[in-house]
Amino acid sequence: MDTFGLKIIASDKVFYEGRCRKLIIPAPDGEKGILPNHENMVIAVTVGIGRMEAEEGKWQEVALGGGFAEIVNNRVTLIVDTAERPEDIDVRRAREQRERAEEQLRQKQSTQEYYHTQASLARAMNRLRLAQDKKWNL
Amino acid sequence: MANIREIQSRINSVKDTMKITNAMYMISSSKMTHAKKKLMDTEPYFYALQGEISRILRHLPELEHHFFDAREKIPAEERKIGSIVVTADKGLAGAYNHNVVKLEEEILEKPGIHKLFVVGELGRHYFAKRGVEIDTNFQYTVQKPTMHRARDISGVLLEQFRAGELDEIYIVYTRMENSVQSDAEVLKLLPLERSSFNEMKMPLNMYREAIDLYPSAEVVMDSIIPNYVTGMIYGCLVEAYASEHNARMMAMKSATDSAQSLIHDLSIIYNRARQAAITQEITEVCSGARAQQK
Repeated sequence: MDTFGLKIIASDKVFYEGRCRKLIIPAPDGEKGILPNHENMVIAVTVGIGRMEAEEGKWQEVALGGGFAEIVNNRVTLIVDTAERPEDIDVRRAREQRERAEEQLRQKQSTQEYYHTQASLARAMNRLRLAQDKKWNL
Repeated sequence: MANIREIQSRINSVKDTMKITNAMYMISSSKMTHAKKKLMDTEPYFYALQGEISRILRHLPELEHHFFDAREKIPAEERKIGSIVVTADKGLAGAYNHNVVKLEEEILEKPGIHKLFVVGELGRHYFAKRGVEIDTNFQYTVQKPTMHRARDISGVLLEQFRAGELDEIYIVYTRMENSVQSDAEVLKLLPLERSSFNEMKMPLNMYREAIDLYPSAEVVMDSIIPNYVTGMIYGCLVEAYASEHNARMMAMKSATDSAQSLIHDLSIIYNRARQAAITQEITEVCSGARAQQK
């Protein structure tokens, strides 16, 4: 099967660099799958769970923050705020983050603060959703 | 010749000061390694982000978006100019703070209504005394830059830019050239200018294809540009943090060195004074003894 070059760059590290067979990323209107030899495109990425198949039959899940993916000449560059493996997520911290965000949402805030907390809540929920599927984190 | 006790107390006070500067040197150098590591981790993201935006802009020359709107209709005197100024929380870092402040003063000279967003305690004090409008809700320190803080800062700025409370946004920070040199620098964050992304020279015969934006150009830009601004601010904070500790390290190193040479000089004077006193005593004893013999 064909592969394509994939580079996932998070703000604090280069998360992945190498070949990939299939990639699924969260776009604003649902998930979007990328196969080798995809048309050149720039796709907005929202907070959510991405999946990639680097080797046959082995899917790796990644918690992604907002950003974008760019596909040019069978090379995909995914530039996001954060990218985390399920085993790297600190469940307790994510839970605290969620509680803090929920607490703030109950209080009176300006519109800007509201969006801010909402985004923070989305990130926390995303982390928890990915981490809690995995047995070793429970 | 000075009093021996005076010289002794002077030496002790220099020694005490040297202890402090030496400790600060150690602290800064350990923080510096931290900051450098952070800088190295962030650089791929920082440069990839700039590169991708410039590539997208090259492929989509006709793009219209409110982040590109230069608002040319507003005359220069009425333009609302916001600048983020990244200084240290305290002095004792050589010319680090002065360079940033001087650069910001140059911006303040220009026509327009200025508003400052100061990161760092020292800059806040300086500009508060100078009577420039400072956003008071903007209380961030420069210690330990995080993505979270950068997101907070860019949230405030983007909101004000969208609402038309700011027409131009600059950031004044110190960029680390290498471990011995760092320069204060002004960077324009918004509105984005096409020319500010240094365009790559492409060979003419190369085939360049169009890029589709999904779901739409608007949505993609809305998602990329706030991220870009956040990423830039984060990058600047990390750069400034590393340069601050580099500057402080060097300042403290030279302070320790000069304290050492001062102690060296003083101890020579001290020894001479001591020797002179002893010689004098011996002379007195001798002459006294000789006087009794006669």
